[in-house]
Amino acid sequence: MSRKANLGWTMGLVLGLASIAMRPATAAPLTVGYSDWPGWDTWQIAIDKGWIKEAGIDLTFQWFDYSASMDAFSAGKLDADLMTNGDTLVTGAGGGKGIMIMLTDYSSGNDMIVAKPGIKSLKDLKGKKIGIEVGLVEHLLLLHGLQASGMKEKDVKLVNAKTNETPQVLASGQVSAIGAWQPISGQAMKGSPGAHPIYTSSQAPGLIYDVLAVSPASLNAHRADWMKLIGVWDRVVHYIADPATQDDAIKIMAGRVDMKPEDFKPLLQGTHLIDVAEGKKTFKKADGLTSLYGSSKIADDFNVANDVYKKAQDINSYIDPSLTNAQ
Amino acid sequence: MKTRWLQVLKPLSPRARRVLGSLSFVLPILLWAFVSYVPSVWHPQVLITKPGSVEYLEPGMRMDKDAFDDEVASAREDNKPPPEGYPSNPIYLPAPHEVAIALYTAFTTPPVSQDGQWLHQSLWHSIQIIFWGFVISSVIGVPLGVLCGTYGVFARLNEPFVEFFRYLPAPAFGALAVAILGIYDGPKITIIVIGTLFQQILIIANTTRKLDVGLVEAALTLGTKNAKLLTRVVIPGILPDLYRDQRILLGWAWTYLIVAELIGTTSGITWFITLQARYQHFANVYAAIIMIGIIGVGTDMILALLGRRFFPWDRSLEKSN
Repeated sequence: MSRKANLGWTMGLVLGLASIAMRPATAAPLTVGYSDWPGWDTWQIAIDKGWIKEAGIDLTFQWFDYSASMDAFSAGKLDADLMTNGDTLVTGAGGGKGIMIMLTDYSSGNDMIVAKPGIKSLKDLKGKKIGIEVGLVEHLLLLHGLQASGMKEKDVKLVNAKTNETPQVLASGQVSAIGAWQPISGQAMKGSPGAHPIYTSSQAPGLIYDVLAVSPASLNAHRADWMKLIGVWDRVVHYIADPATQDDAIKIMAGRVDMKPEDFKPLLQGTHLIDVAEGKKTFKKADGLTSLYGSSKIADDFNVANDVYKKAQDINSYIDPSLTNAQ
Repeated sequence: MKTRWLQVLKPLSPRARRVLGSLSFVLPILLWAFVSYVPSVWHPQVLITKPGSVEYLEPGMRMDKDAFDDEVASAREDNKPPPEGYPSNPIYLPAPHEVAIALYTAFTTPPVSQDGQWLHQSLWHSIQIIFWGFVISSVIGVPLGVLCGTYGVFARLNEPFVEFFRYLPAPAFGALAVAILGIYDGPKITIIVIGTLFQQILIIANTTRKLDVGLVEAALTLGTKNAKLLTRVVIPGILPDLYRDQRILLGWAWTYLIVAELIGTTSGITWFITLQARYQHFANVYAAIIMIGIIGVGTDMILALLGRRFFPWDRSLEKSN
């Protein structure tokens, strides 16, 4: 190789390194992480329609794998992330505190325990094996269901499985039921004909709330922007609810995840979107699942009981209803 | 003249090379087609066309053959219409023609979302990640490898740790990389570097050690000094082998792409693959895998051709290609 070629190579490298190093230094819009969940694909409407810019907010949404988004948020690389209320406590316990300032939805059917044919209810699962990702939301759902039918966790055998792989786990015939959320739970039923949901989040509405969690620093510095974003969210929910615009809304959301609109529509029915008016009610302090406080308390107990983290979290410090209430 | 196929260390005729080369691709594809299109081979499931009287079935579902036979039998017993369907493979193994169609349509389908990307844009993004990961790894790994191979001091100082580190799973450093380098391309490139670098140092050090001792001794006899020995004897001596190592290592870097791109924002070809897999569009998944294969083999062929121009004296290059 000649000297000149060597030089060119080195120059190219230096320029390349420089360009990589400089990238994060350019302007800093607020950054929000979102991932594949019907209640969050909704934001694509605001993005595609330009409503965020229209509201005067300098903010971008970045698409993540769900757990990668929590990693990035914990590392302080995101201003906010869309998470479940339980997972907000988990990231917070690890040091990446997030303040829940608004609710996007609660799961009303999309999270489910799917059982093989012949098993009619959770009671039939006594002594049987269930494929579930231990410590995650479906585990919480299962415990809640067992409790409601007068059983304990000890009455069933949990087999730890990645939620993404539960369709294959159920199809293998080595477990009697699995726990998963849509679209994975749907694939599980498709892959094992006769398999059907025996317990879903529609029987425990509010057990899993989905929220926008903002880092305390960003909330402090950009409070007005976050307030405006809640206004944009209200517009999104009504755009989806309005029969006149619903088809367009579904088309945009389905496009985000490369699905056909008719396949996406049923997923939306298992997700109860929460507009600002309903959000205000959910932000009222109360025990039980109708309040974000009550629901988060249950999630906190679950997390401590399952050793997800050691110390109970101070729920109040994770919730700031004032931005939603000011709308 | 009769072609003799099995001759130890004898080059094959050009025609035989071409035939065998294409067979190496044709045979696996034929096997794939055989498994996909001949119903008596495997096909453990039934793809439902009509659900008949079975409530839970829908057209398009797949079920195990035994369960299907049971349902047909019980429907017949009750004098109800039995379900209908035809033998099929599990959804995880699409047929060749489905993948071929997906390979085409994946490129022609415009992104639906306004911030979405065309497939060729995603691919280009992935190629850039690999390129920079590999370049950065090489800038560190090649000089260090050559030094380790040449001088015992460098070898002892580096290799025990490198030996240890190469077993550590690169993706496990993802969260740390995000914390330091942000959510975009930085952490992805880092994972490629971590995955490639430590192998690179060891491989290149070994290649350097294999340099003909005679060359070094001759140079020493002629009074060559340390630095010159390195730049004029060692490096030119190992260059063709080093080049070949780099080709192999580039392939190595590609294998880290999928895990690397899941770190931080989901991007590149991985975005496409994970999304399609989640919704079980496996034809698209395989199409994307094949694209990666084509890009990898294509790059390697170009590099092999270039190698022959750079190092016309290297006979082992000709043998392998």
